[in-house]
Amino acid sequence: MIADIATMYASFDHVNPPIGADGTPYQHYCAMIAAAQASGQQVGWSNNHGGFWLVTGYPECVDVMRSPHLFSNAEPTLPRYATNEAIMIAGQDDPDHKFARALVNRPFNPAGVMIYSDVVRDNLHLLIDGIIEDGRADLAQVIAKPVPAMVTALLMGVPAEEGPKFSHWISCVSEGQDVTDENASADIAEMYRYFEATIERHRTNPGEDILSRVIHANVDGRTFTQAELLGFCVTLMIGGIDNSYRLISAILWRLSWDGALRRRLIDEPDLIPGAIEEALRYYSPAFTVRQVIQDSEFHGARMRGGDIVLIGNPLANRDPRVFPDPDCFIVDRKPNNHLGLGQGIHRCLGAHLIALEAKIVVKEFLDRIPDFALDETIGAQWIGGQVAGMEHVPVKFPPGHPRTNAQGGQVGGVQAWLENVRAQ
Amino acid sequence: MPKVEILCPDGTNAEVVGSTGMTLMEAIRASGVDELLALCGGGLSCGTCHVYVLDPTKLAALPPMDIEEQELLESFSNFSERSRLSCQLDFASVPDGLRLELASAD
Repeated sequence: MIADIATMYASFDHVNPPIGADGTPYQHYCAMIAAAQASGQQVGWSNNHGGFWLVTGYPECVDVMRSPHLFSNAEPTLPRYATNEAIMIAGQDDPDHKFARALVNRPFNPAGVMIYSDVVRDNLHLLIDGIIEDGRADLAQVIAKPVPAMVTALLMGVPAEEGPKFSHWISCVSEGQDVTDENASADIAEMYRYFEATIERHRTNPGEDILSRVIHANVDGRTFTQAELLGFCVTLMIGGIDNSYRLISAILWRLSWDGALRRRLIDEPDLIPGAIEEALRYYSPAFTVRQVIQDSEFHGARMRGGDIVLIGNPLANRDPRVFPDPDCFIVDRKPNNHLGLGQGIHRCLGAHLIALEAKIVVKEFLDRIPDFALDETIGAQWIGGQVAGMEHVPVKFPPGHPRTNAQGGQVGGVQAWLENVRAQ
Repeated sequence: MPKVEILCPDGTNAEVVGSTGMTLMEAIRASGVDELLALCGGGLSCGTCHVYVLDPTKLAALPPMDIEEQELLESFSNFSERSRLSCQLDFASVPDGLRLELASAD
């Protein structure tokens, strides 16, 4: 068994994991956790992506995240995202991290994110209006991605119509790992030109958006450099869309084949917040990355300064030492201190926003389309990566009617997204 | 260092031992009270280091809340006039004999 676990660690690849019969890599992840538990080896070396330490156990992952004096955020992505600038907040250590985060904490607290409730709800209904007569839709592309992307446009003070472009840029930055790829490079250069123009516009004409607030921040004479502001744009764009998109996709996919869960959430909507937390545990979208600061022994692993560490949140969230029946989806699981949004000083800045978006989508979608099923003829499609999840969730449902009293929402943004999906 | 005690949800009392430079949250966790989750590690964004101050005179002796702490606390249904976020208090400067109760999960 010990030899097996070493081999499993050596070949572990979060970007291209083996996909099981259920369409996800969790069968593989669970086998790995079982082997890690049996061998007592919760940390191991993978030979992929230049080599990295993978941490699979829950207490061990917490230990990494709670030890910023041992593990730096200087390298926050694996493989490294194709950005020119350091990714702000996620790619910073204290005190710089603390300074930047303190500036944006307030708009992301529970009261701060509530201002987006109405627009999320209105946008969702407009999107549903656009598909409901068809009787079929790819819920990942037409619901899960546009909903957070349009909120992100608000955070950045840019037109919601440009959301599909953001989505493409995220793919270039996070999936187009080969920075020498000429097409990806051209698109990334275009992204930076767009961010430069946006920053310039907000400098002379600030809005109520978070990016404007950051551009004009001046704390004791300290302001952000242009490079830092570009890094902030990347943080807002990726952070605003990716995690929410993957989480909402996972929940809608689960609901498309788990009729018992769907009926339960329809009958008892008070269970939805707990179901969202359980989905964050059960289908955690994000791995997180740290860099070892100096040579040290960590839970039996002899780490060297500069080594990369992949925190296996999706695996740790199935750790049987912490979660009884870890492979059961339990909507009212308590306690449920999952690592789906991280822990410690780098815990997801948008945690309250993600929960808000997901809760509204599940509640309102089930109100409009209570009866839907995965289209097995096409099948769902998982995509790996540091932030991983369902890329396509094709479903069928009895066709319905658009609302006649639609009002509010980012109408242009919704149209752009619907056209984008139809063009695919 | 001040003498601080915390009442846990299981009814047990724990003594909080800390040192200069720690926040009250860090001291509580360092004393083995893992029930105080402090998920964001003191970043003022999660609200999971929420405690109640049991003695009103000690509450009044604490440094006042700033607007960010107040907004975050008020967003929770279990907010009370005795609520504080322990990550926002410097351990060495809390009043001696401070008694706290852990707020239950919101």
